[in-house]
Amino acid sequence: MRMINFSLLIQFLFSGLTMGSVYALLAVSLVIVYNVSRVICFAQGEFFVFGALMITWLTSSGLSAPIAFLLTILITSMMGAVLERAFIRPVSGSSEGTIIVMTVGISLTLMGVALLAWGREAHALPPFSKGEPLWILGACLPLQVVWIIGATVLVLVVIWFFFNKTLIGMAMRACAENRLAANLVGISVWKMNILAWAWGSGLGALAGMVVAPLLFTQYASGTMPMLKGFIAMSIGGYSVLGTVIGGFVLGVIEAYSIGLVSSQFSDAIVFTVLIAALLTRPQGIFGAVKQAGI
Amino acid sequence: MVTKHSQKKSQADGYLLNIVDVTKTFSGLTALLRTSFSIKQGQLKALIGPNGAGKTTLLNIISGLLQPDSGHTYFRGQDLVGVKPDKIALLGISRTFQLVKLFTVNNATVLDNVMLGAHQRLKPSILGALFSRSRMLKQEAEVKETAWEMLKFFGLELEAEGSPSSLPFGKQRLLELARSLMSEPHLLLLDEPASGLNDAEVENFAGILSTIQKKGITILLVEHNMKLVMNIAEEIVVIDYGQKIAEGNPGEIAANRKVIEAYLGEKKL
Amino acid sequence: MKAIKNSSWLLVILFIAIYPMTLGKLYPYHIPLLIIVGIYVILATSLDLLVGVTGQISLGHAGFFAIGAYTSGILSATYHISPPVALGIGLLISGIVAWVTGRSVLALKGYYLAMATLGLNVVIYTLIVGFQWLTGGATGLRDIPSFTMFNLTFKSYSQYYYIVWAFVLLIVGSCLAILKSPLGRTLIAIHSDETAASIFGVDCPKYKLHIFVLSSLYASVAGSLLAHYMGFISPDDFSFFTSIRILVMIFLGGAGTIYGPAVGAIFLKILPELTYRFHDYELLLEGLILIFVLVFVPGGLFRILIAMKNQFQNVRFAHWKW
Repeated sequence: MRMINFSLLIQFLFSGLTMGSVYALLAVSLVIVYNVSRVICFAQGEFFVFGALMITWLTSSGLSAPIAFLLTILITSMMGAVLERAFIRPVSGSSEGTIIVMTVGISLTLMGVALLAWGREAHALPPFSKGEPLWILGACLPLQVVWIIGATVLVLVVIWFFFNKTLIGMAMRACAENRLAANLVGISVWKMNILAWAWGSGLGALAGMVVAPLLFTQYASGTMPMLKGFIAMSIGGYSVLGTVIGGFVLGVIEAYSIGLVSSQFSDAIVFTVLIAALLTRPQGIFGAVKQAGI
Repeated sequence: MVTKHSQKKSQADGYLLNIVDVTKTFSGLTALLRTSFSIKQGQLKALIGPNGAGKTTLLNIISGLLQPDSGHTYFRGQDLVGVKPDKIALLGISRTFQLVKLFTVNNATVLDNVMLGAHQRLKPSILGALFSRSRMLKQEAEVKETAWEMLKFFGLELEAEGSPSSLPFGKQRLLELARSLMSEPHLLLLDEPASGLNDAEVENFAGILSTIQKKGITILLVEHNMKLVMNIAEEIVVIDYGQKIAEGNPGEIAANRKVIEAYLGEKKL
Repeated sequence: MKAIKNSSWLLVILFIAIYPMTLGKLYPYHIPLLIIVGIYVILATSLDLLVGVTGQISLGHAGFFAIGAYTSGILSATYHISPPVALGIGLLISGIVAWVTGRSVLALKGYYLAMATLGLNVVIYTLIVGFQWLTGGATGLRDIPSFTMFNLTFKSYSQYYYIVWAFVLLIVGSCLAILKSPLGRTLIAIHSDETAASIFGVDCPKYKLHIFVLSSLYASVAGSLLAHYMGFISPDDFSFFTSIRILVMIFLGGAGTIYGPAVGAIFLKILPELTYRFHDYELLLEGLILIFVLVFVPGGLFRILIAMKNQFQNVRFAHWKW
């Protein structure tokens, strides 16, 4: 029986909250795209990777960190927008299977590009700010975590402002609620889709950037985080707030699984949670019943 | 209250379908409130009422796609509430849908759609498809013959090998009807089958319904087209806001004050 | 056996049968490749029955592939159980897992079903890696004996080629037999509109479950064959990436046609051989080809092949028309 002391439990909590906020960011990027365009983007993990690798490459090429940061967000957001217009819209009328496989195709393509651009090696980004980690209640909190959680909070504030106070944001929310009605009042559903994807890819890249100093990122690193983002969505629900909560819950569950059970079985636990969440979610099982209503 | 005695009595009177006190609400909105009526064997009964009155909901409940909050739907004495839709189909109930639900993926043809209507007769299985192929193919050939006759009756034989989505709307409705008849049902539920049809098509449709009825099939027709309803229905049930407000033959219904008010709003003095 | 009546079928079977003794001798390297191709044809066509025909998106196929491979591997290597029996036990376990999980998971639709089955794949993968003492963990399971049946030991490439492709023909044949039967029509109806199908007496949950179990059994066979052929298996072959790859084969080749996914499997397994000099470009190329086919040729590669065949036949008989 291992000796579990209090500070160890706090340590798990910290790593849980750290990864949780990354999952929350990814989940938010997924949920915005899904709510507005009804597509789950399998390639979201690739934007995560692009964010991390691009900023690493830009800063090591001499660009200052803030400029590299902004440039990466800009480029990845545009990528998302272009991909939606070029590849998702043509198949938007097809079966769900086709759309899923299309996003897989985009994922493979982006992975291929990342492989060619940055090779198979893993890259590490230096932390955003130099300094000793914080020590709280006997557990270690790297400074980068402050950046991560700070970025998450900032993103949530920006999202709240954008979707509640700006016209475009409200138009996107209208699209998410009722596409037909939004279309009828003159909102261009096509444009909203593009914007949603821009948001999604930008947020995905942001998640990749803020966590890059803590992880070694390589071309294939993106898929698992994306899946965890989806799990967060399944746990927390399909609203922005819900997925954020889901992300943190998932991060904590995962951290305690790794710490208390074993790192080898944590994925089994986490994905069993996913299956359980999907089976108990009203959307999945009762959606069909609702269809047969009035 | 329906006792077993009165229920058996109504069966003996030749009632095929008994709707008893069916109530259904959707998050506070009452779709049906203690709706009750019966249909005799071989009858063509129409169910009418203003939009949103709950007619499709009732059809969905009868066919098993929805469960009522309370009440019973007796078919030949058996309560259908709680029975799965595919089992209800096996009892001899078939239907069409307000928005046609034809099978269109994987290059399904018009003929495929009609043949699917006879699924009960074939009851395919994996073992059957792999190991008793010749028997299965023989059965399929018989069904195919019936399907062709059905297509000819509805005038669809030229488009048989094509996709249902390439049919004009009127023919899609006929295809739905053709498909629903393949299982030789005792009771046929029709959900606004004439909506979107022009006058000529409606007349043709009325003739088809008569022919179907002559074959002994009981029909419950939900319809908005009043001309069609007045012409062919033997009895009419009118519901408004989920409640039955009138029941009787076309003449009685046409003169019924409550019906007129329901459709036209409050009568202005 | 009506399927054999079609002469092009006979040609294909004949070609497969005589390949090792003719072209195979000229290019011996291709035989091992064709064995792997055969295994993935089994995976792709069996999944197509579930995904393309019945419309249930499963991203967990590699999980059953793994169950077959590891059951055969562990039972024959560690417990010296005869390979055919081990294969049978693998089928049993796959079938039970598919039955138990399918009953609840198949009630989900679209993305939710895809993710639930992907979750299943990850759970199986993680358990394989985690239970190191049984499965060899991440380093893999080695010393799996060759497949033996009726005192015949399959050792050479040609022998494995024949047994694998015998299974390929059986399994693909059975999938086609199902597709071109009233059952196939019923499955397409379920794919198209479950509500409408149930109105005509189709017990949708039952059929979906049966097809889910059947496809898992076929994947298990593929796994057992792989284990004995390679003599060594590692978890990498059974991750959800493999499930995604199989799904790509289906849509690339033409979902719902059974032939199409077979073509897709052949294509995607042969592509790396053609691009080995440009190995790093392979991933990008796969993605681009997939996107191209999805946007411009929704019927998949199979549709292109059919169009080409029709062109060829038209040209051949063109001079008979005026």
